[in-house]
Amino acid sequence: MGVLLGLLRPLQALLDVVLSVGKAISVLAIGMMVVCILIQVFFRYVLGNALTWPDEAARFCMLWMTGFMAPYAYRRGGFVAIDMVLLALPRAIGSALAMVLLGVAGLVLFVAVQIGYGEITGFGSRFATASLYLPSLVDGSVVWERMPRYYMFLSMFVGVCLLLAVNFELILRSVVTLLGGAGHLRPIPGEAMIEAE
Amino acid sequence: MLIWFLPVFLVFLMIGLPVFFGLLFAPGMLLYLAGQERDITLLYRNVYNGMDSFPLMAIPFFMLAGELMNRGGITMRLVEFAQALMGHFRGGLAHVNVLSSMLFAGLSGSAVADTSALGSMLIPAMEKQGYTRRFAAAITAASSVIGPIIPPSGIMIIYAYVMGESVAALFLAGIVPGIMIGLGLMAVVKLMADKYDFPVAARKTTWGERGQASLKAFWPLLTPVIILGGILGGVFTPTEAAAVAVAYATFIGFFVLKTLTLKDMPDVLAKAAATSAVVLLLVGAAMAFKTVVSLSHAPEILAQWILSLTNNPLVLLFLINLLLFVVGMFLDAGPAIIILGPILGPIFVSLGVDPIHFAIIMSVNLTVGLATPPMGLVLFVASSVSGEKVERIAKAILPFLAVEIFVIFLITYIPAISMTIPRLTGFAN
Repeated sequence: MGVLLGLLRPLQALLDVVLSVGKAISVLAIGMMVVCILIQVFFRYVLGNALTWPDEAARFCMLWMTGFMAPYAYRRGGFVAIDMVLLALPRAIGSALAMVLLGVAGLVLFVAVQIGYGEITGFGSRFATASLYLPSLVDGSVVWERMPRYYMFLSMFVGVCLLLAVNFELILRSVVTLLGGAGHLRPIPGEAMIEAE
Repeated sequence: MLIWFLPVFLVFLMIGLPVFFGLLFAPGMLLYLAGQERDITLLYRNVYNGMDSFPLMAIPFFMLAGELMNRGGITMRLVEFAQALMGHFRGGLAHVNVLSSMLFAGLSGSAVADTSALGSMLIPAMEKQGYTRRFAAAITAASSVIGPIIPPSGIMIIYAYVMGESVAALFLAGIVPGIMIGLGLMAVVKLMADKYDFPVAARKTTWGERGQASLKAFWPLLTPVIILGGILGGVFTPTEAAAVAVAYATFIGFFVLKTLTLKDMPDVLAKAAATSAVVLLLVGAAMAFKTVVSLSHAPEILAQWILSLTNNPLVLLFLINLLLFVVGMFLDAGPAIIILGPILGPIFVSLGVDPIHFAIIMSVNLTVGLATPPMGLVLFVASSVSGEKVERIAKAILPFLAVEIFVIFLITYIPAISMTIPRLTGFAN
């Protein structure tokens, strides 16, 4: 139990901080998405100038919003699942099954992290985005260059890494609960989530 | 061998694996066992490509618009407007509940938002007037399913994206079915009001009060006009219309109604971002799942099996409605559409059912499932809002579910109900 709690506490503290920062970035990202699309509408219909960048910039923000907010939601039970069987089973069997399911989720995420790493370090990530630019220093002067797609691919890699970390936290919490140590667990901050329909 | 991903997926889904992981685990495992490891990378890429989409951005925008309107007190104005119109009938508050849901549906595409926003306001008011708590919770839950049927609608955006249909066509096709469900519920309320002697308001609203309530509700009620008018007039794409709806809700919340403050914004944005992220991830996984559905030839194999039962499209539509209804009892509408759309859609389109018509059958049926025992999500929301037990609400909702099922069959067998407006406006053939 001590070992488990020793693993869980720093992980939970780390996730509390990282996901809070991620939440703040997501709040900014969803706001930026709206602004980008409104700029697009304004320029097209009012100024008669169809800009190319707002579409891509808004999608960039949406990907990062998802990358940071999905782990936040997963941690609060926001992923849709049919939990009828889990609830109907005797408590010990239900808990064991829940652990197996967390293991399956962990396997999916582990494979996703491996593939994701390949994607961000691979050839495809070196291609440039169509209309997003980043400043870089060339011979002492600032030059605007097209942003590599790496920065977009990175959003999903960060998302699956955080999901894997959250999944590991949930496994540890389940094991501690199964061993009768639920009283030692610190509640996950924030309110539980309901799905989106 | 790949076809086995479907039963494997269903087994894991039934024992409680979150849909997102199930959508990736079952096909991934079968691809691995079939020696097609390289295609697992394709699954990952399809999740990413599925999320990296301009049309899909409408989902976070409509969710954000709904949150802003809710927080900005717009719900209250809609209820006051409905009260001024229908509050004086016997069972007036029950009628107000249904009408408010129909009006709210034009602003938000979410049944959960409808139940929590209207329920927290109307259930206590109905109890105070003498209705039982279970009846108040039941009519709130039953009428909330209109939310995702009358446009804008989150699940229709998902369906349109996953199945490659026009969002505008689906929005238009949902108008009449949504109104029919509302009118059907009002008819049941009327019958029950007469039979059980429901309360009636102490006094009738004057025309002056009605005018005042209409003025107060004018700005919120303009939202669906802007959204649909913009899309139909070719001014906005649905995504742009959703962004404009956000701007409009922000504007009236801050400057017209003056009910929103800057302090509210982080929470509003965070809520919309969190719910959207889950849906976007699911849609991404659905796009990966769809690829494996195509590779496995599952629709063709299932179509052969279904056609071996009967090749009468009317009987098939009946059977499919039964299947959807059962699925809707256990699974929420969005994930169910994501899972079943790519499998069932091609089968029925090949049988001659219009894709828009089939989309509406699926959407309405699965949306009604949100209020169906034992797992209907809005039943649980209504329970938490009202403090009534889910089992009691589940019993009280049965007469309302009966009328909703009747409407589903009307929509199924009379395509003109859903198809007339899209055809008249040129959005469907």
